[in-house]
Amino acid sequence: MSSMDTRAPFQHSGKNIAQLMQTLLLALLPGICASLWFFGYGILLNVLIAGFFALAAETAMLRLRGKNIALHLADRSALVCAALFAIGIPPGAPWWLVALGIIFAIVVAKHLYGGLGQNPFNPAMCGYAMLLLAFPLQMTSWHLPNEVVEGVLFVDNLGIPIAGAEQEILSPLSWRGFKQALLLSFPFAASSDFDIKAFTDGLAMATPLIEFKMAGHSALLAARDSGTSLFSRESETAWEVINIGYLCGGLLLLYKRIISWHIPLAIIATVLVVSVLFYAPGSVSIYGTPYLHLFGSATMIGAFFIATDPVSAATTRPGKIVYGIIIGLSIYSIRVWGSYLDSVAFAVLFGNFCAPALDQFCRPRIFGRGLSRAIKLVEASNESTKP
Amino acid sequence: MPMPIPPQLQIPVGATENGTITLDVAAGDHVHKYQKLAQLQMSAQGRTCIPVHAPTSGIVSAIEEAYVADHSQQKQVCIVLTTDGLDTPLPLEPPVDYKQLTCEELVTAIRRAGIVGMGGAGFPAADKIDAAAHQAVDLLIINAAECEPYISADEALIRERAEGVVTGAEILQRASSARRCVIAIESSKPDAIQALEQAIEAQSHISGSCELILVASKYPAGSEKQLIQSVSGIEIPSGQLPAQHGVLVHNVGSSYAVFQALAQGKPCISRITTLSGQALKTPKNFEALIGCSVEFLFDICGIDKSLSHKTVLGGSLMGLQLPSDNAAVGKTTNCLIAAGSAELAPSADIQACIRCGFCADACPVRLLPQQLLAFSKTANNSQLLKHGLMDCIECGACDYVCPSHIPLVSIYKDSKAAIEARQINHERSEVWQQRFQYHQYRIKKEKDRAPTRTKAVPAKKPVAESGEAGVSVSSNGDEQEFFSKEKASREIAAAVARVKARRAGSKTATSEQDKSK
Ligand code: SF4
Ligand code: SF4
Repeated sequence: MSSMDTRAPFQHSGKNIAQLMQTLLLALLPGICASLWFFGYGILLNVLIAGFFALAAETAMLRLRGKNIALHLADRSALVCAALFAIGIPPGAPWWLVALGIIFAIVVAKHLYGGLGQNPFNPAMCGYAMLLLAFPLQMTSWHLPNEVVEGVLFVDNLGIPIAGAEQEILSPLSWRGFKQALLLSFPFAASSDFDIKAFTDGLAMATPLIEFKMAGHSALLAARDSGTSLFSRESETAWEVINIGYLCGGLLLLYKRIISWHIPLAIIATVLVVSVLFYAPGSVSIYGTPYLHLFGSATMIGAFFIATDPVSAATTRPGKIVYGIIIGLSIYSIRVWGSYLDSVAFAVLFGNFCAPALDQFCRPRIFGRGLSRAIKLVEASNESTKP
Repeated sequence: MPMPIPPQLQIPVGATENGTITLDVAAGDHVHKYQKLAQLQMSAQGRTCIPVHAPTSGIVSAIEEAYVADHSQQKQVCIVLTTDGLDTPLPLEPPVDYKQLTCEELVTAIRRAGIVGMGGAGFPAADKIDAAAHQAVDLLIINAAECEPYISADEALIRERAEGVVTGAEILQRASSARRCVIAIESSKPDAIQALEQAIEAQSHISGSCELILVASKYPAGSEKQLIQSVSGIEIPSGQLPAQHGVLVHNVGSSYAVFQALAQGKPCISRITTLSGQALKTPKNFEALIGCSVEFLFDICGIDKSLSHKTVLGGSLMGLQLPSDNAAVGKTTNCLIAAGSAELAPSADIQACIRCGFCADACPVRLLPQQLLAFSKTANNSQLLKHGLMDCIECGACDYVCPSHIPLVSIYKDSKAAIEARQINHERSEVWQQRFQYHQYRIKKEKDRAPTRTKAVPAKKPVAESGEAGVSVSSNGDEQEFFSKEKASREIAAAVARVKARRAGSKTATSEQDKSK
């Protein structure tokens, strides 16, 4: 590229992809920390496992494709993909599930389409959707905060000797919680069948959060009214706090101008408007409150982190807004009328389908083009101001 | 700011492709400062001529072709002047009171002083006024918004000679009979703004209706059409000239040169040039004599010869790397950068486009650089045209922000060149195709004709005459067709010529738009 060096521009802002990706990872931290707090180490293990396999798969693919491994690994895009993928996987999912998903994401959805910048679909969501179709059971078994604790107690009740177990409410961040998470992720490491059985029995089976909470109103408000700490693990505020974490991360991205406001705003506004329109206070159980739609599930992650993945999103400004509206509508309709519990992945993939067409049809007006009317108006106003 | 007189000057007159050069001096002649040396008569427009004057006194030692430190990248005819250091001027004509002159007289005076657009493209200032002469000029904008990083020549000029600039603006307003005159400057230059305010204040009682308008200093604020929009709200349609909409833009440098020409009677023999870069010990703005070499200027600024440097003409975003420092300063040389080894070397590895859209957010023309890139890669010309590649002003804003370090502007330049080449080829091949078809058609006609004729006129006429007879018999139908065909191909040839002319013209015109300030 040396011939390019002699051609303008000679100056560069110094931005690079690695910085962008790093900021993205940073912005994910508040949400991940909140998940960690409520769900225990499982989420962290997922991120680490996914990160490891993502890097391995990326290296292998770069090698196969004869690319400069050091250069392309340094862009950290594989890590971002891994993180986005892993935060959607239920904590306690076995390692092979995570590995399978991320390898599919990196190898098939990213590199087989031509690598960074070429993939028409969001790789993380491809991996996620693939798992959701192939392993629906594992993919929907979320620990709910209460159950985690109860699970531990249950184990205690089975007679595993822990000093003062009856009085102790174990935090998922405790050593035991860690051990539990490890064993769930790596079942082969368990010393006996009994361990695993004990733990898995304690899992909350397929409790879709959205249904779980549809009957009630905001747990945050409830917790506040009843004087419980928002961060207490019994307060059922988990998803809301986690979503607020991701919202903060998203705002950081906006502030750093890594993403533009168009997509997140369009998604959030659409979800809000549609859920308000369908919300009937008398029949909360079917559609859920607007608040629940925004903070009760993965809407914030989707709006700020997943739908904004630039490669697979619409790239023009008007296109981005339409893209956001499409995703917002899909999120709502899949959630409410569809048969899948998690709608963000499919909604984003559906948006990806539309993106190329949006880029073609929703283009900004080029400076000085298509102006005949505008010019006449300006001139007319100039005329009228003339003495 | 004034500089010492270099031992030799290489005064560019113009490239021979651009017009006819008339020399008033020959090698060996002694010339005075301000003496007219030569002029370039541009072939395209009849009235255009750019005279060149001696920046100092001395002896003409040669007339040769050489590269000049400007954007033309062509060899230009240069008059080599060995200076005598005396700087003896011609007696200047006593400056006339420009207020007594008519528009035409003003334009003539501006033309005679050899003033060109000092912002970069070098379109003759007088022609610009002329081009707008047949319609009412509503707004004259004096462009003081520096286009690019590194360039500070205009700012320096304003800080030190604001009065001249304001007077020049007023003269230009008279010459173009503009209703309003606005000096547009970026809000980030408080010193220059203050100087201008004072100068406008000082002159307001004499005449002026000059206003000062601050524009946001968002690159490329000084780009002509963008500036017009931020000043007046008028968006000049793609492919049209500001003059068609009653707007004229002149650079502050031109405005000052006009002041010198009319208020002091001095032709254009120098310009303010920014000398910058890490390889220089004392970077500064100079009033450089036209024709002095880049090397000489760098020497004055204490270039560190032990370090390698790269010489860039113009700013860091739209500049041009000069192959050597021997080139001479021309009337449009606004900035010379002696970049140190680590400076102006965006070397980071190029990665794939991630479609982040930063480029689109930066583009002043609201193009979609990421889409243009994708279409350039596949050489999808129709989509490139649809997405406005030809409206790209090559400002480099997209390149600057691209996190993947993709050399977008270079790619667009190549695509543009490829499309233009294709168009020319296409037009040419159409002409040839027409000719070939006509040729075949004629042969076929001849063949068809032969038997009919022999039948119709059996033995009375010798075969040799049949050709003529045939023609006369069938003249009506055939010749009409012949002529319509011939006319068509002639029309096409004319169209090709027009396109070429337009292209040559539009090159100057568009680059004028982009760079004039
Ligand atoms: S800034 Fe660079 S990477 Fe981003 S969309 Fe534009 S060309 Fe692609
Ligand atoms: S170089 Fe062209 S495409 Fe890039 S920002 Fe400037 S006008 Fe837009």
